[in-house]
Amino acid sequence: MADEIKTFKVTIDNITIDVAPGTTILNAARQIGGDVTPPAMCYYSKLEGSGGKCRTCLVEVAAGSTADPRPMPKLMASCRTTVMDGMVVKNITSEKVTDARNGVVEFLLINHPLDCPICDQAGECHLQDLGYDHGKAGTRYEFKRRTFEKEDIGPYIQLHMTRCILCYRCTYVADQITDKRVHGILDRGDHAEISTYISKAIENDFSGNMIDVCPVGALTDKTFRFKNRVWFTKPVDAHRACENPKCCGKATLWLRGDEVFRVTARKDEWGEVQSYDGKPGWICNTCRFDKKKTSNWTVEGLSTISRHSVIGANKYAGLEMPNDTIKKVLNGRDPKLLMNIHNVSGVNNPNIHLSEIDRPSHKDDFAKSGEFVKGEGESTQWGLPKE
Amino acid sequence: MSRKLLLEKAHVENIRLYDVYRREGGYRSVEKALKMAPADIVEEVKKSGLRGRGGAGFPTGMKWSFIAKPEGVPRHLVVNADESEPGTFKDRYLMEFIPHILIEGMIVSSFALGSNVSYIYIRGEYHWIVDILEQAIAEAKHNGFLGKNILGSGFDCEIYVHRGAGAYICGEETALIESLEGKRGNPRIKPPFPAVKGAWERPTVVNNVETIAAVVPIINDGGEEYAKIGVGKSTGTKLMSACGNLNKPGVYEIDMTISVEEFIYSDEYCGGIPNGRKLKACIPGGSSVPILPANLLLTTAKGEKRLMNYESLSDGGFATGSMMGSGGFIVLDDNQCVVKHTYTLARFYRHESCGQCSPCREGTGWMEKILLNIENGKGKMSDIDLLWDIQRKIEGNTICPLGDAAAWPVAAAIRHFRDEFEWHVKNPVECLTSNYGLAHYADPIHVPVVA
Repeated sequence: MADEIKTFKVTIDNITIDVAPGTTILNAARQIGGDVTPPAMCYYSKLEGSGGKCRTCLVEVAAGSTADPRPMPKLMASCRTTVMDGMVVKNITSEKVTDARNGVVEFLLINHPLDCPICDQAGECHLQDLGYDHGKAGTRYEFKRRTFEKEDIGPYIQLHMTRCILCYRCTYVADQITDKRVHGILDRGDHAEISTYISKAIENDFSGNMIDVCPVGALTDKTFRFKNRVWFTKPVDAHRACENPKCCGKATLWLRGDEVFRVTARKDEWGEVQSYDGKPGWICNTCRFDKKKTSNWTVEGLSTISRHSVIGANKYAGLEMPNDTIKKVLNGRDPKLLMNIHNVSGVNNPNIHLSEIDRPSHKDDFAKSGEFVKGEGESTQWGLPKE
Repeated sequence: MSRKLLLEKAHVENIRLYDVYRREGGYRSVEKALKMAPADIVEEVKKSGLRGRGGAGFPTGMKWSFIAKPEGVPRHLVVNADESEPGTFKDRYLMEFIPHILIEGMIVSSFALGSNVSYIYIRGEYHWIVDILEQAIAEAKHNGFLGKNILGSGFDCEIYVHRGAGAYICGEETALIESLEGKRGNPRIKPPFPAVKGAWERPTVVNNVETIAAVVPIINDGGEEYAKIGVGKSTGTKLMSACGNLNKPGVYEIDMTISVEEFIYSDEYCGGIPNGRKLKACIPGGSSVPILPANLLLTTAKGEKRLMNYESLSDGGFATGSMMGSGGFIVLDDNQCVVKHTYTLARFYRHESCGQCSPCREGTGWMEKILLNIENGKGKMSDIDLLWDIQRKIEGNTICPLGDAAAWPVAAAIRHFRDEFEWHVKNPVECLTSNYGLAHYADPIHVPVVA
């Protein structure tokens, strides 16, 4: 029986999945996908040692394992907690988690500038997404926001410390991908900052990957800054035979017309760099900053963009819809989304005179809605015409 | 007069020196312990019921038995002398006056744990104590109690003193280990626990100075003898560092059977409150444990006399109790302002947050700003609820206990002294020049009679 690979059964938000021992709760949730996956601002699966810091991925462990089914007393950082056989985790089904996560998002935003319209990261910013999902309309913070002096860290990367959320990802990139780390965290607490000691410029063939891992607008591409908004550019997958043996040569070009505005590594649905043959596809600075002509590259076609982030909100041919898990999370209940009302109730249909509707839509109407929609040739989910 | 174990000889002249310490019976425990099996020493410590004196009160013997023993991997004992909790200065006293009791305890503990290289991680501000400890280590080594083949037992042990650079967070055991390794003092994410992967990924036990010193009387007299002192699960003696509005602040060794009232008012201990003032509030165990008003401090919510031990001080949970903590006993008289006091603590925790995880980094600064506003008469009623909500969202959601330590004082101050906060908001001018005074904080608590 040596061939048999042992797996652990873990239940996350009522969905049970088998995963390999040693998998973290977050990665198990990512295998399920959709809404049950906790957000992660600091964890980056390709960077060893990352995670545990931002606290947005906190989950409730309702039962530790089959052997020891006691619940864990505190909320756990799902990115750094490994699953046990028979573990029961609550993420979006736990009020405690929602409350704590809203708190963390509030903490992250109290000192973060709310000037997305002038920030270059807008549209692909993870904090922006997190704010949409968990933020409140107003702030309870009535004090001056923290700012930092600008520091020049070289010709390619713009450091804007005021926007930083101290996820430490860029320091892990410098430690693990570049030859030598010349930047780090100086000082501590709320005045801790990312800095090169005595304004030393970061010069390394792979330093540009720090831009890709930065979840916010703290590290941005100087060769692209303010040239265009990301949602106006069209991402295409392309590759070139790069001379650098550590560079994977596979990248995403961000085009407008035929002009290459920006080159980044290819990202997966979690906003992380894609892996090829088990190795993360980091790209070198030559590919990123110097090869800005389509003639430098072999274009493969449109990139697949996840719905995640503003850039995925519309119009991309390669738009991927997330795995919809809500029915499973609710143990088979299938509540009608607000948008379905448009299909069911006649009030929004201009062809039906309002006087012909004898009463407000009733819950019984929903029972009929399946047939009604089918007859009209519409999908039940979004009220969009079927292709 | 209660029994003293650690400070019994503290006032013997020149006890700081090896010759005097040895003459007074020092290093007997090493001679005894090296003839025992290491597992028996651990067993003896388990029997004694000794609990960690650094604040959490975790049973020391149990902590020692958790240490992993992989083949061929060195293990380490690290003594936490980073004592940076405001109000706590017991370890300083111990190391300054009888450094050899720590060295003696460390040799015994190192033998029990199998640590050939042990460390004392001391806070950088105690720079003169480093010299005292290093002198003590040199003397011990000169007399054959350290180094190779101690007393012919075949056991080798070296002790090194490592100075911190002045960060409260380095008193947290995993941050301490990071700092010891020469890195930035950021707490690690647990698991793995230090007992499995500590300093340089080796099994490590981190213990407080007083805990290790207490091993000496345990080995000398036996664990059972030690367990006879004290009451219940609070065995042995505890060093209390009393400060604030007291006639006789200082370090006292208590046997955990005396009442809080006796500790504050008796002439043997703190000698009461000076200038005829009245007791208003007290933090019984170092700045991060909940503050209690006078009435709840002296009696529990059940109406019983509160004693100076782990169980009694935490009786009633956080709703009506507090914690023994590290023994930093801070007393406030009726001339003190709880709002200002809470602000001072919030400022401390904001300054000492390592900045690694979001709730603590952002939340501590936010609380400090709001408290400063209330203190300066610029607060709003809604600020008090906001403070409550912020501390609630920090507590339990951080990597290390600093988040809890920052949240608890604010929570307790609002829980017990809410009307003082409200008075500050309602009297924005008056609060700048006078304070709320004793108010009802010493009134007897109404205990419902149970039929």
